[in-house]
Amino acid sequence: MTLEEALTGISGPENVLSDPATLESYSQDLSFAKPIKPHAVVKPKTADEVKAIVNWANPSATPLVPVSSGPPRFHGDTVPGVPGAVIVDLSGMKGIMRIDRRNRVAMIEAGVTYAQLQPELEREGMRLSMPLMPRANKSVVASLLEREPILIPRSQWASLEPLRCTSIIWGDGKQLTTGDAGMWPSMESAWQKKQAPASPTGPGQTDYYRFVSAAQGSLGIVTWASVKCEVFPEIHKLFFVPAGKPDDLIDFTYRILRFRYADELFILNNTSLAFILGDSPEKIKSLTQELPPWVALVGIAGRSLLPEERVAYQEKDISDIAQEFGLRLLPTVPGASNSAVMKAILNPSLEPYWKLGYRGGYQDILFITTLNRTPEFIETMSSLAEAGGYPSRDMGVYIQPLQQGSNCHCEFILPFEREDAAEAARMQLLYTAASDEMLKRGAFFSRPYGIWADMAYNRGAQTRTVLRKIKGIFDPNNVMNPGKLCF
Amino acid sequence: MALEDYKADMERCSQCSYCKWIPLDHVKSWRFAKGCPSIGYSNFLSYSARGRYAVALSLINGQSTYTEKVKDIVYKCTTCGLCDVSDKICRYNLEPLEMIHELKFKLVEDGQLLPQNTAVIENLRSQDNMMMETKDGRGDWAEGLDVKRIADEKAEVLFFAGCRFSYDKELRETARTAVTLLKDAGVDIGVMGKDETCCGGRAYDMGYKAEFLKCAENTAGVWKAAGIKTIVTSCADCYHAFSRLYPPLGENFEVLHTVQYLDRLIKEGKIKFTRTLPLRVTYHDPCHLGRRGEPYVPWEGKEKKVKGQIVVYEPRKPRYNGAWGVYDPPRDVLRSIPGLELVEMERIREYAWCCGAGGGAREAFPKFSNWTANERIEEAESTGAEVLVSACGWCERNLADAIKNAGNGMKIYDVVDLVKQAI
Amino acid sequence: MTLSKEVYRLFEDIVGTDNITDDPAVLDSYRYPLSHTAIHMGPYYRVYTPRGAAVLLPGSTEEVQAIVRLCNKHRIRFKPSSTFWSAWGYPLEDDTIQLDMRRMDKILEIDDKNNYAVVEPHVIGATLQAEAMKVGLNTHMHGPGSSCSCLASATALGGLGPDTLYMGHHNENMLGTEWVMPDGEILRVGTAGSGLGWFCADGPGPSLKGLVRGMTGTNGSMGVFTKVALKLYPWPGPATLPAVGSPPAYKTELPDNIRVYTLGFPSWKAWADSCYLVWDSGIGYIAHRQFSMFGRDLKGAMVRILSDPSKTLSDIEELLEDLEVQKLNKDMERDYQIVLAGMTPRDIEWQDRVLDKILEETGGWKVAGMMEPDLYNWSLLYMIRLGHKNLNLVYGGGYDGCFGLGGTPDYGTSDEPPRVEQATAFKVEWEKKGNIVASGGDAMMGGIGGMGGGGMTIWENFTHFDPHNKESTEGTLEFFNAVSKFGVEKGWGPGMEKMNEYARWSDGKTTPKDVRDKIFLGSAQPEAFRYQRKIREVFNPNDLGDAYYRTLDDPE
Repeated sequence: MTLEEALTGISGPENVLSDPATLESYSQDLSFAKPIKPHAVVKPKTADEVKAIVNWANPSATPLVPVSSGPPRFHGDTVPGVPGAVIVDLSGMKGIMRIDRRNRVAMIEAGVTYAQLQPELEREGMRLSMPLMPRANKSVVASLLEREPILIPRSQWASLEPLRCTSIIWGDGKQLTTGDAGMWPSMESAWQKKQAPASPTGPGQTDYYRFVSAAQGSLGIVTWASVKCEVFPEIHKLFFVPAGKPDDLIDFTYRILRFRYADELFILNNTSLAFILGDSPEKIKSLTQELPPWVALVGIAGRSLLPEERVAYQEKDISDIAQEFGLRLLPTVPGASNSAVMKAILNPSLEPYWKLGYRGGYQDILFITTLNRTPEFIETMSSLAEAGGYPSRDMGVYIQPLQQGSNCHCEFILPFEREDAAEAARMQLLYTAASDEMLKRGAFFSRPYGIWADMAYNRGAQTRTVLRKIKGIFDPNNVMNPGKLCF
Repeated sequence: MALEDYKADMERCSQCSYCKWIPLDHVKSWRFAKGCPSIGYSNFLSYSARGRYAVALSLINGQSTYTEKVKDIVYKCTTCGLCDVSDKICRYNLEPLEMIHELKFKLVEDGQLLPQNTAVIENLRSQDNMMMETKDGRGDWAEGLDVKRIADEKAEVLFFAGCRFSYDKELRETARTAVTLLKDAGVDIGVMGKDETCCGGRAYDMGYKAEFLKCAENTAGVWKAAGIKTIVTSCADCYHAFSRLYPPLGENFEVLHTVQYLDRLIKEGKIKFTRTLPLRVTYHDPCHLGRRGEPYVPWEGKEKKVKGQIVVYEPRKPRYNGAWGVYDPPRDVLRSIPGLELVEMERIREYAWCCGAGGGAREAFPKFSNWTANERIEEAESTGAEVLVSACGWCERNLADAIKNAGNGMKIYDVVDLVKQAI
Repeated sequence: MTLSKEVYRLFEDIVGTDNITDDPAVLDSYRYPLSHTAIHMGPYYRVYTPRGAAVLLPGSTEEVQAIVRLCNKHRIRFKPSSTFWSAWGYPLEDDTIQLDMRRMDKILEIDDKNNYAVVEPHVIGATLQAEAMKVGLNTHMHGPGSSCSCLASATALGGLGPDTLYMGHHNENMLGTEWVMPDGEILRVGTAGSGLGWFCADGPGPSLKGLVRGMTGTNGSMGVFTKVALKLYPWPGPATLPAVGSPPAYKTELPDNIRVYTLGFPSWKAWADSCYLVWDSGIGYIAHRQFSMFGRDLKGAMVRILSDPSKTLSDIEELLEDLEVQKLNKDMERDYQIVLAGMTPRDIEWQDRVLDKILEETGGWKVAGMMEPDLYNWSLLYMIRLGHKNLNLVYGGGYDGCFGLGGTPDYGTSDEPPRVEQATAFKVEWEKKGNIVASGGDAMMGGIGGMGGGGMTIWENFTHFDPHNKESTEGTLEFFNAVSKFGVEKGWGPGMEKMNEYARWSDGKTTPKDVRDKIFLGSAQPEAFRYQRKIREVFNPNDLGDAYYRTLDDPE
């Protein structure tokens, strides 16, 4: 039986694709990952199909590359690392299985996007805390598994928040449900007893769901997940705290985090904010001049009980805090209309994806650090950019406090013209050199895409050893996205 | 009671480890959170009250026998009583200190002795003191002191010097000062001089119950014969012995510590200060004056259960939780001295850290005793105080020795010494 | 003695003569009675955990590693524990060496900008909290209280506590750990593994925190954890927690931005509704059904006794006759305690008004009796420092928890009659037999939280007995067996009373394999335990832990 026949037998002929155009589209993304064509693309519709696919792949060690989001993709994780791979595209698994307002959880399949989910949640009086303007076709499950930073640090007790339970098909073909959902004979029996899949831990003494986080699909495939939702705000205000330098915003931000105040709380430079607001390269350029060099965005939401009062008192308190640090809490800043920014950051990105609007392509450098170190990284990156012939004014910066302030996502967005070979080559050099320098200065590549994998694992050799052992347990035949991370 | 009578407690011990720490509500730092010097020094679980419950149970169940380690565990306890206080915070019906005494008594009865303690007790038997000194030097501390000798004249109040103040040449002056202060304030006071013998309290804490009983019988007998009703002492060990150990034997006297008497006299205006003492001091609560210095409440009764399995007592049993010890009088005295600033350590009152001298530790385990004292000195230093004050000769000696060993600049005084300086 | 002299000497070379012993009496002080606390099995009268082969007191990670390597070389089981409370920390088999982690007791770092602390195994909640408060921070206080090890809570055991709704679960709070693995290799999880400090536990790539623990930790069965980094939380109170009063009735007096209430509700539905509203509105610093552990009929008397230094348990019967105490019991029948902490005056005012709104909507009330200054200040200190957790055992020395009914608040409080009332009624009947304290059936304690932000409640029904008394202990075992049977019949499954039966049996040693297999095969996902077997085979190849690490060893 051929590969196509086997897959067709599992998912049906309409869901197995091997035409050149399709294969070409999955062979590369907008990163510097070396393009490698897959052998076929299969689009399963159910978890059982996914399980069957993985079980089929094992005897022949056929590489499988899971994909849940639509294109464009950016980090090389969904580009096959070896030839002969089969792309397992779950973007068609779009079931929203359950929305439970009382327990504030939703159960969703792997292909559900933010654009799809948020309106459904809103109908039930809820919203899911999101990353900053994900693509409309971004899979919620993929985003959470990849530990993309969310905008509301105060609700992030754990790094994987708001991800809760998952259903995983491991590389060895076995299925496991994680979290408290894994404790019940079935979800139906649980719902009947008024239980809800809210706790992510276990089963047992292992947090299995952590193994598939930031794993780039190299350990297993998640077919559904439960997520913890926020109550939809009755009133929601956004404020700006402008500054000349990022340093000026650090202590203010720490104080807000310490108080567990605000909802959305993050820092952008003028370039990033211009990327968000500008609808053309020219507009972006002019906005960069207009906008303050740096701004902290502070969202305050009122939910459930006494919502107006919450917003009112936090606005006063945060304003007092800003003053204490010589800053001001403002409803607008030059170049940025409150409503426009609010709308943008609370929704998936419009097309083109906001990071692509300036030059058509971009490279990002993202890592975890602590908030107090971000100015130092910003300065270093700026110097490296200039030294590499890249105008630092074109560089977007996004600082996202995480886990209630214990650590921080630091991201540099470097737009460039992909079609220009010379520029692309210069960008690749800059990206490599800058990544290296960031690593030396203590950047933690917690999501080690591409070249960061070797860098990160060379620094943490024992981590690599242990991860390989885990891989050996859950994917003994190395079918899951081989060539990624340290596998 | 015998050790076996504590089997219920041994089996009911919560295993919670509260006995190792000061009452958790009072923890103010990592550095000064420990409560039990024994496990603080020796680290094995067995050195805590919970550990000693388990060791005792193991012995009486015949699961283990006496070894040098067992002796080390049992005797390396200053009987400071901190475990007893911490245990009473939540558990209303455990008496670890009583059990620890019974454990020591048992080892002594069974001939499991420490040579260092044996030497001290043999001297006690022949020379009536705990200081390895001869009997005939007992009254030397009062030489030349213009005060009644009880053997010759009646006095309303007896000042009992105790072995430490009698024989310790550096500390003697404190005893002389105490007597003089009281006499000058109008107290009709006398001393026993060379006729004084050991109160027996330290022997009790070392596990020598028979020797304690002999001392008690002797001392109380002399007092009764002399018609003495009120005793005042500057030694916390003696204070504890007279107020807590003697009454169960039927020997009831009014017992005051010097600081209590001074406090009264100051408040009555009979002691007036004329000088200012610009000192920053911190006060060390002696175990035997503080948490072990609670008044004795006679009780005889039995355990009963209510509501199925709640352990109570009939009649109501007094609970010695350290609350009613002598804490405020010394502080009031110090605060009344002009210019003196009293700053508190973190571990005070019923949860004070022990000086390390008690229970035979100073005699048998000098390194442990010194370590314990050093811990206290560090704590005193952390307050910024230049002077450490106490109200017990044994505490003062042990702390002073630790200060000397460490080459430390801190001064140590008795409350009485500072009162004298301010008059 | 089961260690050869030669091997004993090798261990002695590692830790020093003073830090190892095999004296039988000492070894017996390192045994746990199985008629006791929170062992969630039995209880078994006068049965103890096996005697260890020796006890060692390692002083550093290097010593721990050397010990573990030596154990691997000579195939010696080892079992670490920090505070030795509850049978989890004790050997399951003979010839096991016990590691007492007491000497590793340092707080290595408190980062008051990024809000975390790095601690060694024997740092207890009280000392970490005291040090954190000096810099305006607080630590999540795990349920068994501030005498227990923070590291153990994070890596070995549960990790929940009364403040979890605000201060998370120690699984969430763990920002990294240093682990001497069962084979003697050292893994530092997260940023620590890359030499970058302790601020993130996850990565690079998949989070190895998943290997450290799941719903619970590994109970000392998979190597030794020697450091942990734990997230800290805001503390808007004084730098030192003031405690005043006479023992044992210590109280605190705090500024008005920190408040405690006992809330009562007219029905279990209202009680459950309030939990959801608390979580939805985001108020609450600590929220726990704490004093209910004394029992529905007794808690009013008990809080009076505990807050009055002149009272003892002997006063309980008299107090129960007091009309005010009876009112307190009634008002507190369906209750929980909540502490509000406001960062500013506006913050606390808003939170308190939201609480009033919640009470208005649910028909609940602030229990007036608990607002009396003595009780108020006593309960405030109690809830913040959690320094009285051996009150679990106050009545007679023994307690264990049964039922559980963990999950959403609706789970425990729904059905007709509500499940919690069914559990109460069942226990009341057994209380009548006299072997357990007649507390009124409902002695259910549990957090209003379960994880950061809330979501879960649990109903651990405290069963108080006398471990010194054979009838009481055996009667409690009989009761727990009946509870399990009742739970199975009801479709709830066996409860917390049997939680550890998979590991330890009535003789104090490892549960027979056929029993363990049956338990795991009967679970919702036996595969989870087969994977854990594989994990054990890879990471603990010489199998030097014990059956507390749950594995299903069956032919696949």
